[in-house]
Amino acid sequence: MSLATAPSGASTTGRAPAGATTVATRVRDRAQHTPSAVAMREKDFGIWQEVTWAAYWDTVQTVGHALLALGIEPGDRVAIHSENRREWLYSDLATIAVRGTTVGLYPTNPPAEVGYLLSHSGARVLVAEDQEQVDKALEVLDQCPELERIVYLEPRGIRHRYHNPKLMSWDELLALGAEHRAAFPGAVAERMAAATPDDIMTLIYTSGTTGPPKGAMLSVSNVEFAVEILVRGGGFASPPPGPTDILLSYLPLCHVAERIFSTWFNAGAGVQINFAESIATVQPNLQEIQPTILFGVPRIWEKILATVQIKLHSASPLKRLNARCWLAVADRIGATLVRTGGRHTAGTRMLYALGWVFCYRALRERIGMRRVRYASSGAAPIAPDVLKFFMGIGVAMHEVYGMTENTAVATANRPGRVKLGTVGEPQPGIELRIDEATGEILTRHPGVFVGYFRDPEATARARTPDGWLHTGDVGEWVDGTHVKITDRAKDIIITAGGKNVAPSEIENALKASPYIKEAIVIGDRRPFLAALVGIELDTVGEWAQRRGIAYTTYRDLSEKPQVLALVKSIVDSVNGRFATVEQVRQFRMLPKELDHEDGELTATQKVKRAAIAKLFADEVESMYKR
Amino acid sequence: MAVMTDGPILRFSDVHLSFAGVKAIDGISFDVGRHELFAIIGPNGAGKTSIFNVLSGVYRPQSGRITFDGEDLVGRRPHQVAARGLARTFQNVELFERLTVLENLMLGRHTHIRYGPLSAVVWFGRARREEIANRAAVEDIVDFLELEQWRRLPVGLLPYGVQKRVELGRALAMQPKLLLLDEPVGGMNLEETEDMARYILDIRDELDIPIILVEHDMGLVMDLADQVLVVDFGVAVATGPPAEIQHDPEVIRAYLGGAAGATPAREEVRQ
Repeated sequence: MSLATAPSGASTTGRAPAGATTVATRVRDRAQHTPSAVAMREKDFGIWQEVTWAAYWDTVQTVGHALLALGIEPGDRVAIHSENRREWLYSDLATIAVRGTTVGLYPTNPPAEVGYLLSHSGARVLVAEDQEQVDKALEVLDQCPELERIVYLEPRGIRHRYHNPKLMSWDELLALGAEHRAAFPGAVAERMAAATPDDIMTLIYTSGTTGPPKGAMLSVSNVEFAVEILVRGGGFASPPPGPTDILLSYLPLCHVAERIFSTWFNAGAGVQINFAESIATVQPNLQEIQPTILFGVPRIWEKILATVQIKLHSASPLKRLNARCWLAVADRIGATLVRTGGRHTAGTRMLYALGWVFCYRALRERIGMRRVRYASSGAAPIAPDVLKFFMGIGVAMHEVYGMTENTAVATANRPGRVKLGTVGEPQPGIELRIDEATGEILTRHPGVFVGYFRDPEATARARTPDGWLHTGDVGEWVDGTHVKITDRAKDIIITAGGKNVAPSEIENALKASPYIKEAIVIGDRRPFLAALVGIELDTVGEWAQRRGIAYTTYRDLSEKPQVLALVKSIVDSVNGRFATVEQVRQFRMLPKELDHEDGELTATQKVKRAAIAKLFADEVESMYKR
Repeated sequence: MAVMTDGPILRFSDVHLSFAGVKAIDGISFDVGRHELFAIIGPNGAGKTSIFNVLSGVYRPQSGRITFDGEDLVGRRPHQVAARGLARTFQNVELFERLTVLENLMLGRHTHIRYGPLSAVVWFGRARREEIANRAAVEDIVDFLELEQWRRLPVGLLPYGVQKRVELGRALAMQPKLLLLDEPVGGMNLEETEDMARYILDIRDELDIPIILVEHDMGLVMDLADQVLVVDFGVAVATGPPAEIQHDPEVIRAYLGGAAGATPAREEVRQ
């Protein structure tokens, strides 16, 4: 894109902008100062296409004008239902620029949930990625009287075939925007100048493990606080990120975590964002991109570790021997690093240098982590063994903690001060306390959300009048500095014997095995603990193949006696680490892989305990039958 | 080149093919329009695949005319037919198992290669330019058929449904004027079948390539096709849009097995 597109943004900034600083003004300012630097890249037809800051801001303005032409007023909601791609950011930023509110939908949301989210948020415009998402919206259109426009990004399968008057292609939207921009060149800038810190910037629907999702309202000031603490203050990547950093955007952008790491890291610190081709190509894309900062959920790290182990089995004997030896060394390095909080000793440094030559360099290159300087894990607890593995091969892994309702500003492990099993220290300048009676973690700072959209009761439950947020997480202090999360308050199991047990600790110990994907511990008001276990199809499949065990489906594999014996041995070894009351006495195999669309997982792949207990009631009851 | 822009892309008239007295095709005639999805159905051994083999030059009919885009095809060798823009897929996957998805697709570009061996060796000028253009064309297909995640994997390692998709991709890589699909969803599960159906529709609507489809899956044929030809014992029983075909008494008797409107998923009649 030529520089000729930059002045349109620059001309509006000639006058001192009066409006509040938002992520939109941050992008505008970057376009002014570094117009030809690369803001983001997306792989198109096999080639990574670059978008400069000038081109980025130019498109955002055009889309902003289009939204004005469609009549978007301050506070109106614009929904985005798409995988991560450039248009997600264009639409998000344009909405913010015209003081609208962005609502993100998960690409995996089934039609019923799409209907709920669209009608509850009252979105007037929906940006839908392709035929699949358009179909979902059309199916629930009569539930959403406020929805006026559906803008689709991929015309394939839609043009010539669909004739709903609400439909409009992305190109038509851009044309509309260009027309409006020619007629009213200063309209978007005027809107931006009127922005206030209290504008609601986004609704983030938190997929509750119980009940329908709730829309957390984040204001401009909430988000600006998060940008200052987490991005510019180095809360989620230390030392703080900058324009030389590279990130891969692959987790759903409607979740607060990916929004921080993609949109806000990008706007706030100039980090270059790369969009994965699809969730299925994350691994090859990581390899091509070699990001410097990486955020992931435990499931991703577990999957990478499992892949390494599978690849190892099929490597040549010499390679296998070499890798086995160096991974054993990595385990020792990792153990030491965990003890020292991430600081190398002279001994580990030497071992690592040797290992780098023989193994770690190549291994890190293969898994796309060669240049990762800061990796963080969040959204769920990471298994200690997994953390140790990454520390050992030289990927500095830090557990961080936060939630939508406090704009993810809570705690983080800092380089050199990592404490295994904790989520780190409170972010600077915030108040965090643990309620003495209930053990619940509470936070208070300018990032605490405004409230739940159209749900004052839930808002009143979540935040106290004096501004404290009830996180719903039970935790404790470790050494007075670090916070350890025990469990979700409502998940704590009280056994029939009256013991309080945190199921997630046991579940995570089970899931640390590469063969186990899901573990759900049950036992509330029951005589003992039991578990439903789901196998990891890839690794167990490979394990079975090596032993010549033939199988057809997931269920068939799960029920093989050899597989049952394998799982039993894992359960037994995990039991060895827990007190008697915390031991899993019985287990059953899940007959299927858990799925969002079947209502067993939330959109963020968290297990819905209540739903599982109901769906697999037979399996559960059979464990307690005597 | 004599290009007719409005007439049918393919005219198959009064073709006869027999093997040692067995009449495989006994005077079948049909036309395929330039934007049409034309389906051929019939029991096993009815002569569907024979029609494909005659079209693609594998068999030479004893009599009859086949006009493709204004040109006579009878007597052409398979590679000459392919060069004229007629691409096909096979009932069973016929890919190079040890080559990657990209390499298999690049092979589909074979008919578009103009440079000679010398130019290929020095890798300069024409050879380089053409290969880049060919790779770009292949990437369009990777995008179209959503094959991104398997680009660099050997085809032999991929699930069956994906292999079928790669085969379709290789046929598309030729940029054909007419596509012959021989049982594209044979052996697929429901999800793979639905995906394939979507790709077939998109090929007709988005790429604007006419298609002749031979398929056992009646539901698929009735949902997708613009025109259906029913064959039995090498004879055309009926031709028409699906709605008509489903109610044609002749077809019901010969093929659908009695109940009008019934669309059995898979027909295994007379071998």
